[in-house]
Parts: sequence; C-alpha cells; structure tokens
Amino acid sequence: MLKAFQWWRGLLLAFSLLAVSRVFLPLPFVIEVVIFSVYTIGCSFLLGRVGFISFGQPAYLAVGAYATAFYLFYFGTNPYVGILMGVLAGVAVSSIVGPLFVRLRSDYFALVNLALAVIVFYLMQKVLAGITHGDNGLWFLTNIASTPMLDLSRPSDFFIFSFLVALAVWAFYKYLDDTVYGACCLATKINEDKLKFLGYSNYRVRLLAFIIANTTTALAGAMYAVYLGFVSPEMSSPSRAADPVIVTILGGVGTLYGPIVGAFAYTGMKDVISKFIGNWELFIGFLLVFIMLAGEKGIWGTLQPWLAARFARKTAVADASTDETETRR
Amino acid sequence: MDAQLLISGVIFGLSIGSIFFLMAIGLSLCFGLMRIISLDQMLYYSIGGYLTFSLSLATGSVWLGVLGGLVVSGISAFAVERLVFRRIYERELTFSMITSFGILIGGIGIIKFFWGVVPRPVPVPIQIQTGIFGTDVPVYRLVVVAVAILVYLGIWLFLNRTITGKAIRAGIEDVEHVEGLGINVSRLFTITFIIAGSLSGLAGGLHAPLIMVDPTMGLEVLAFVFMVVIIGGLGSIKGTLISALIVGQVVSIGSLIYAPLAQMAPFAIMLLILLVKPTGLYGSALLKK
Repeated sequence: MLKAFQWWRGLLLAFSLLAVSRVFLPLPFVIEVVIFSVYTIGCSFLLGRVGFISFGQPAYLAVGAYATAFYLFYFGTNPYVGILMGVLAGVAVSSIVGPLFVRLRSDYFALVNLALAVIVFYLMQKVLAGITHGDNGLWFLTNIASTPMLDLSRPSDFFIFSFLVALAVWAFYKYLDDTVYGACCLATKINEDKLKFLGYSNYRVRLLAFIIANTTTALAGAMYAVYLGFVSPEMSSPSRAADPVIVTILGGVGTLYGPIVGAFAYTGMKDVISKFIGNWELFIGFLLVFIMLAGEKGIWGTLQPWLAARFARKTAVADASTDETETRR
Repeated sequence: MDAQLLISGVIFGLSIGSIFFLMAIGLSLCFGLMRIISLDQMLYYSIGGYLTFSLSLATGSVWLGVLGGLVVSGISAFAVERLVFRRIYERELTFSMITSFGILIGGIGIIKFFWGVVPRPVPVPIQIQTGIFGTDVPVYRLVVVAVAILVYLGIWLFLNRTITGKAIRAGIEDVEHVEGLGINVSRLFTITFIIAGSLSGLAGGLHAPLIMVDPTMGLEVLAFVFMVVIIGGLGSIKGTLISALIVGQVVSIGSLIYAPLAQMAPFAIMLLILLVKPTGLYGSALLKK
C-alpha cells in the first residue's frame, strides 16, 4: 500500500499542481499546456531514453490529427471514436515507417525523420488537397456530437478528459521506466553492443520505442483536432518541427516531468512575449541556442536535484532508498 | 511526352540539381570533417537570396547581388562558427543538429525583421533564350549549371591540389592523426565552415531569380537538400554530385508526369536507397567520433 502510494506520489503531486493551475489560469492556456506536454513526451522519450533525436514529430502529430479529422468530417460524429482513429493511424504509420527508420544510424534517422515531416506537410497541403482541402484545412467543429458522460465539445469537459489522458500517459511512461524494457531502452542509448551481448535485440527495442513514442504523439494530434475542431497542414510545417525538441530541451531531456514543465514554460513565454515582440521565432531560436550552450539541462533538470535535496532533508532516513530512485528521474 | 518538353525538363532538372548540389556540398563537407549536421546552411541560403534581392534593387546588377550574398553569407558563417560551433564540436551529433536548428529559426526571425514577410521578386539577369535541339532554353539556367560545374572543379582542385585541401581530406579520414601532424585543425574547421556557408549563399543568390525570395525559403529547400545528402551519403562530395543530379531530374521529370510527384518521388527514391544501403550511395560505413 505504502509502496503504491510512493510510486504514485510524484505523479499525483505534479498533476494536482496542474489541476490547481486550472483555477488561476485561463482554460485555453491550460488545455494547450496539457496537450503540448503529451505531444512532447514522445519526443522526450526518444531523445532521452533511446537516444534518437526526432525532428519528425510533427509528421505523426499530423497523422493523428488528420485521421481524427477525416473520421469526424466524412464519417461519424463521436469524438471518442475519432480520437481512437487517430491513435490507430499513429500505430499504423509508425509501424510502417518504423522498421525502415530505426535501422538507420542516429544522424541519418534525424535527417530522414525531418524529411518525413516535410513530406507529410506537402502530402496534406498539395497531393491530397482533394480530401484535405489544402491550406484551408478541414473544419468540423459543428460535426462533433455531444457525448453523455464527458462532453468533449465543451472546453471545460475537454480539459478533464485531456487531463485524465495525460495522467494515464504519464503513469504509463513511469511504469515503462520501471520495467526491464525501460532499462533496455536506456541501454541501447548508452551501449548497444553490451545490450546485444545480453541477448536483446537493439532493433526490436528501438522499434517498440519508436512506435510507443509516435503513437503518443498521434494521440496528442487527435486531441488537438477534437479540441480545435479544425486541422490544417500548418501543424506539420517545417518551421514548427523544432517545437517538441525545444520543449523537450527546455524542460530537461529524458526527465519524466520535463515535458510538463517545458510545455508550461514554452506556452507561457509564447503568450507573454508575443505580446511584446511580433517576432516570436527570433526569440525561440536564440533561446534554444542559449540552452544548448548553457549545458542542456533544462528547467526541470536544474530544478529537480535542488527539490530532491530539500525533500530528502525533510523526510525520515528510512525513505532514503526510495528517494534515491526518485532522484533518478 | 514530346521531345521539346523533355529537353526543357532535363535542363530545368540540371539547374535545380545544381542549386541542391551547391547547398548539399556544405552540409556534406561539414559532416565529413567536423561531424556536425549544420542545418544553418539553409540560413546562409536565405541570406544569399535576400542580399541578391537588395543589392540588385540598389545597384541594378543581379551578379553584384550574388557576389554580395556570397560574401555576406561567408561572413555570417564565420561569425556563427566562432560564436557557437566552436563550443560544440566535441559534443554529440544530435547536439549540433538542435543548436543549428535554433540558429536557423532565429536567423529566419532576423530576416523577417529586416525584410518583412512578403515574398520579393528578383529579376532574371539574362533574359535571352538559346536553342538546344530546336528547343528554347533560358540561358540563365545554363549559367547556373555552369557555375555549379565550376564550383565542383574548384572544390576538386582545392581538395586535391592544395595543402589545406589535402589536410581537409585527411581530416575527413581521421581528424586526430591530422592534429598529430601539427596541422591547426581548428583553423581547418573554420575554413571549411566558411566555404560551406559561402556556397550555400551562392546557391541562394543563383536560385533567387528563379523563385521569389521569402523568409521561409530555406525551410522549403530543406527537405530536398536532405534527400540529396542522404542519397549521396554524408561526407562524400562525389556522392553529393551524383545524388543532386538524380534528385534534380526526378523533381523535374516527375513534375512533368504528374505535378505532386515533384515532392513525393525523391522521397520514395530516398527510402528505396536507404532500404538497400542504410548509409546512402557513397556514405562511410562507420561513424567515427
């Protein structure tokens, strides 16, 4: 019982802080933060745990969003089914391109993945313009039917839904860290030869990680689609390819709560600074360079050891061992 | 498809391939010698394009603009190398990729600040057309191809006939041995980066009259340049040339057959080649770091 509580403690703390922020901050902002952090955790997992830098995240975001949009625009009205469609599309696409991509060296992987994002952008903007309506995007806000329990067409209910989804995603990733598979992921990043000697297949570990991460991203895309009620090729445009990477690094690479902190900081800065400077890219570009040169630890990576140290002093010595495992993430 | 359309298609493909080659050679050289992926080459390309626009407007000569773009992008490459890349050569490859993407995004912001977001036209310096096998072909496109050939020969001579070039080639093989011979590797890196940046600037300047210059022009060619570099293999000049020719033709002939093929066909070819050879046509088998 106590063990279970300790496992959930960090998660519950983080998410109750997020729930509290709902009271103080405007609703669209908090929803944006929640979806953005789900969007980012896939990228953070790939970069921090498996050692793959993915500039191609927008491609999978667009896949999830467009699958949801197609369903809601052409076929049905139930947003839950739409989100399920988005997730399934994410699984399908990442299973198709995954076997090819994860065989590549990490430098080629990065280039090919970014190229994929650009191709998906063209695909949605020009090639499939007949069904995606090109740059105009698909508008289906009125198509979304009200559902009995949680009405996703209402922003306040949508917040509860996205909040629960994010909590589930985080619990899943935290669980993943504890499993043998999570250790394998870290091993394939640090020393793939040793992992091979231990009898694991690097290829399979990476493929699974690739599919998990990109399905999470597709889920975020599906949630964006339902929340905004429209999709356009803009979401996979090359100029936004860096967003998840920036948020990952801003939050702290490979940390569990980095994506939440990063998404919070990024969305907050975007809202505040774009009021003063019209030129948002200029700022974000140089912020990225600055963080990288300053040691790439990010906000959570800097904050977390400090918090852990303070926390360790307060609790009893008996807790020391569990705190040590806490400090790892 | 009639012969005239095919000939003009081939010439178009050659000229667009030349532009891709000029840009990809920078990425490829930087990867070969310094083991960095320098996405900011796309920024120097935009700088080259915009300076061509501004200088041709001010002086009336596009060639002066191209020259100015080449010089200014070389200078900005020098500044970026000194300020940023100098500190990250030792780091992982992905590190340079993230940082240079930051520079690219920031640089696009600066361009928007100076020139605004509206696309600007650049006049074509040579208006006349010439006949090849009875087809009218714009001379300017042939000039672009000629420039690319000259650059290839120049790079080849530089790498094979000068001491610095030989040191760069040796550095692509093994940097530590070159350093052990007492050659200033840090200066070598700077020279290579400036060459890469100026060539990207040249590509931007030459491409500007064929398209409109706009702040995100770098991001638009990004995918194609990547495909060229990946198909050819990172770090190989010869591979870059061959794959630039392939991609140029595929883009041009593909768009003649069915317009959306222009974007999709090179990607499909890249996936096919990676399926057979994961390091590209002429890529080195191992990543030395």
